[in-house]
Amino acid sequence: MTDRDLSSLKDLPVPAPRAEARKTALDAATQAFVGSTAGDAGEPQGNVVPLRPIRATNEPEGRRPMRIRSAFAIAASLAGLAIAVPAALHVLGQARMQPLSGIDTDRIAEQRPLAAARSAPIGQPGVPGLALPAPSPAAPVAIAAAPAAPPAAVRPAPTVRQGGPATAAVESGPRKRPAEDGRAALGGSSLNEKSKQVAGAPGTALAERDRLSRTELEAALVGATVSARVRPASADEAARRVGIQKEIVALDAQVRRPDAESRDRFASAEPYPFRMVAQEPVSTFSVDVDTASYSLVRRWLNAGRLPPREAVRVEEMINYFGYDYARPESAGAPFRPAITVLATPWNAESRLVHIALKGYELRAAERPRANLVLLIDVSGSMGPQDRLPLLKRAFAMLVNELKPDDTVAIVSYASDTATRLASTRVAEKSRILDEIDALQAGGGTYGEGGLQRAYALAEAGFDKAAVNRVILATDGDFNIGISDRAELQRYIEGKRRTGIYLSVLGVGMGNHNDRLMQALAQNGNGVAAYIDTLNEARKVLVEEASQSLFPIAKDVKIQIEFNPAEVSAYRLIGYETRALRREDFNDDKVDAGDVGSGHAVTAIYEVMPRGAEAKLVDGLRYQPVAKPALVEPAAKVAPGAERELAFLELRYKLPGEDASRLVSLPVTVPRANTAVQEAPADVRFSIAVAAFGQLLKGSPHLGTYAFDDVIALANGAKGEDAFGLRAEFVNLVRMAKSARR
Amino acid sequence: MTAATDRELVASAASGDAAAFTRLIDRHYERIYRMAWRWLGRREEAEDVTQDVCVKIAHAIRGFRADAEFATWAYRIAFNTATDALRARQRTVPTDPSEVMGLIDGPGQPSPEDDIMGAELWAEVRALPAQQRDAVLLVYGEDMNHAEAAEVMGCTEKTVSWHLHAARKALRVRLEAVG
Repeated sequence: MTDRDLSSLKDLPVPAPRAEARKTALDAATQAFVGSTAGDAGEPQGNVVPLRPIRATNEPEGRRPMRIRSAFAIAASLAGLAIAVPAALHVLGQARMQPLSGIDTDRIAEQRPLAAARSAPIGQPGVPGLALPAPSPAAPVAIAAAPAAPPAAVRPAPTVRQGGPATAAVESGPRKRPAEDGRAALGGSSLNEKSKQVAGAPGTALAERDRLSRTELEAALVGATVSARVRPASADEAARRVGIQKEIVALDAQVRRPDAESRDRFASAEPYPFRMVAQEPVSTFSVDVDTASYSLVRRWLNAGRLPPREAVRVEEMINYFGYDYARPESAGAPFRPAITVLATPWNAESRLVHIALKGYELRAAERPRANLVLLIDVSGSMGPQDRLPLLKRAFAMLVNELKPDDTVAIVSYASDTATRLASTRVAEKSRILDEIDALQAGGGTYGEGGLQRAYALAEAGFDKAAVNRVILATDGDFNIGISDRAELQRYIEGKRRTGIYLSVLGVGMGNHNDRLMQALAQNGNGVAAYIDTLNEARKVLVEEASQSLFPIAKDVKIQIEFNPAEVSAYRLIGYETRALRREDFNDDKVDAGDVGSGHAVTAIYEVMPRGAEAKLVDGLRYQPVAKPALVEPAAKVAPGAERELAFLELRYKLPGEDASRLVSLPVTVPRANTAVQEAPADVRFSIAVAAFGQLLKGSPHLGTYAFDDVIALANGAKGEDAFGLRAEFVNLVRMAKSARR
Repeated sequence: MTAATDRELVASAASGDAAAFTRLIDRHYERIYRMAWRWLGRREEAEDVTQDVCVKIAHAIRGFRADAEFATWAYRIAFNTATDALRARQRTVPTDPSEVMGLIDGPGQPSPEDDIMGAELWAEVRALPAQQRDAVLLVYGEDMNHAEAAEVMGCTEKTVSWHLHAARKALRVRLEAVG
């Protein structure tokens, strides 16, 4: 096997050299040749045979011809001593005390920084296994010693502009593509913001600006292309094209970046700007219970680096943590939204509207049966400890959590696809565990039809009353039988309609295809989670197994209408990839996020009360100004009743139902302005996470709010924190203070 | 027009014919570049090294006695330049504390090498100890026999075989746990 691998070395492709490099080399060589004609024809620069008197590779110290030279060196130093010693004695004899002490302190002063420099790396935690999951306290201290530019310095001034024409254009764009819409809608405004960011950072190279603006321009153009296609019949086609174009744009950007260190790909969009209530009173989005972004961010910070902005999805960071919000009573009405309005910690003018949803928690007895198919990548790249070995332990934990009635099947793919285990009842647990244990990484990723095989197994064991789910675990090789991304998504979407869902578990780093993971899980009614430690695996697969595996509601959408009499502008924090159009809210055919048993979902709006001094967006000259007196509210608000800030609507479908249900409730203006400190601990903590996510994303809305403020806020809101997740968060913020991008 | 042999070109070049020299280099550029890439794994570094090799050849060609094959001689220069570049790269490992964390983080770190078919295999081979790596790349990558490889590496044929054996053993452990 190794022999075959090795003998393939000579046939493996080598990237072609650039034509200009070749030309430069030839020119340089010719020039050198011509230049050397005159003098040195007689003395060759290189020896003919043997080329070198010593071996190019390392040779044991003792065999080097160095000894001879060291004899010379000793002779030279002896001669030096012979001259220096009498001279020194003479000088010392002349002036005893002063020069001596002077020399001494100089030398000590010289040695000190050296010693400090040497001790710094030693201070690092040396055991990789320990450093990974929970960095020991030594790590932040050592890193803090490194000079790191404060990230706040790069942030541009907090000025924002409205989305502009691009936003309007996309209104008529394709349906069923919330992520794409959101991205394109933001194309116009992000162009502005990006160029401001660049202008704000004087150190940024010109090339970087070129790259940014070109990518953004292309994104804006894509948005324009979308708007040109109005006919709904061609919408799907347009969406596909946009998808492909975007892929090209993204790839292009990656290729053009010379220092592209990482091949990880992320799904992300620019943060939302403030929007005028007068123009867009309604904000609609799909819930998101994924948590992959937080694990990725943690991985970067643990390595002492700030995560790339596009890897940060604020809502996923917030929703990573469990919150003890008010629980609903029955599975029939699985949600109870709890709304808190409070002062914004980073802006004295604005308020935060904190919307908390807690999904109904199924008790073990109520859980439906599970029919699971594990589709596991066992290619060579899965070899490292944080990949397949981690997954094996994680799946073993999962199997131990399942009920005897549940079934598990295992399909592996590498050089070929293999059904390791047909659907087996968990009652025969040892057979499943043995099979998981026998998985080994090796070979390439050319597995044909892995996905189809997994779905076929799920179909074979299909049970209408059960949860039928394929769990794909990979480090980013999605070569699972369908290579075209759009086709892959359609395939998964089609299977979702037949009742088989898909979840994606990502491991490893360097090759991790976050964007595709997201898209697949979204299309498959599943969760995309990133696993970097066993603790994380436990959280995703065991603690949250019921959440990830047993949906209590699907297609959960939130729409909130702001009252122009109370609010002048608003912005949603996070959920950039989950934007929906206003009319999608009532369209039951439009797919949206799912909520599993016991999931908590948090959405936070920052709103500018009417009359707030800071004008974020200039009013329009030709539009009637929406003064409170001029607006005829559609809703009849009884006099004396509480003033309404906004109206929240929530749509969801129960699992197995096709018609959606509606929950709605008004958000009232609080009598007193609640300070952050008075809010419940869970609310405070989620706001701290939101602030942290925005800082990492370089959001311009946070003013002078810094990591230290986040630490202070989060420290006071840790609550019970049984698994230490919140303490770990505070630690991460500390690391972010000294991490560099 | 029949193509002149390397030997003829070398002879013309040694007597000062710049055009002949350029043709000679042009003919061998691709092979030298491919060799450099196999060692370095990064296109830009490989291009730089190849340029260095070409310049070295330009300086040295007049002293080349044509008692060896030009190709073999050029190979040796390329081999030494590439291994020098590799060692220079190892000397410049960044020592910033956060980088040190990155090194500790280990195999999960993003690899800066070119992303190309077989990237994993290349990475494993390049991670071998220097002499094993050289032996593997010369014998398997450049398709030399053990004697040729020994000549380039400046050691005996037996040593090459031994390095290959050790490399295969190490790779077997890392590449395929399948058995």
